[in-house]
Amino acid sequence: MPNNEFHGQLIALLPRLRVQALALTRNRAAAEDLVQDAVANALAAQDSFTPGTNFAAWMHRILRNRFISTLRKQRDTTDIEDLPAGAFAVGATHEDRLVLKELGRAVNRLPTDQREALFMVVLQGMSYEDVAAATGCAVGTAKSRVFRARRQLQAWLMGEDRVRGEASEKAESRESVRGLGENALRI
Amino acid sequence: MDNDDTSSPPSQDRAALSRHGMGADHAFDLWLQRSLHALYDRVTQEPIPAELLRLIEEDRARRKA
Repeated sequence: MPNNEFHGQLIALLPRLRVQALALTRNRAAAEDLVQDAVANALAAQDSFTPGTNFAAWMHRILRNRFISTLRKQRDTTDIEDLPAGAFAVGATHEDRLVLKELGRAVNRLPTDQREALFMVVLQGMSYEDVAAATGCAVGTAKSRVFRARRQLQAWLMGEDRVRGEASEKAESRESVRGLGENALRI
Repeated sequence: MDNDDTSSPPSQDRAALSRHGMGADHAFDLWLQRSLHALYDRVTQEPIPAELLRLIEEDRARRKA
């Protein structure tokens, strides 16, 4: 890929990377830092990108690996979770804002790997194949993560504690973080 | 006299309930998609920090030179 095209694609992808960083960190300031670090890594590694392959998947892998690396360094720090800006939309009715805030909190409760896959499919419009390529898992696993995220959100918003038959939320969260680490990919 | 059949719906009823459940899931998924966009699309519309763009443009210029 000519350099101009690489940089142009990177700039065009930035809005999506910011949303994906928010999916991983749940915190606006941490998401901005993560994107900045991932862009620096991508610029340093641009010669390793193979022209003609999926640039978005390559870039999402860098973002993800950077997040995992940061997570390992900051394992003991306390997260401060932000609700997305849309939960405070001026134009929405009071009831809509309440529902969106509840959804925002529920989304933040999801295991990281499920929230990540859900955002990629629902917000970014990525295929399951691209999600699998970006997160280093099988296509079936990507589908399963999105399915479980949807049903878990549905259960929580309907007032159920968890989807019947699922493992405990804490166990899932531990598995989720462990899974992220195991799926870190080399670029 | 007790009838075991009353404790579980007949197969056609179970199929209908299953369809109803799938319909509810589909409706929720549509609502979820709209709501997630309402929550997060604003992030994609915010201006990119100048520092980030400068980082990329400087690298582009350096590689061109």
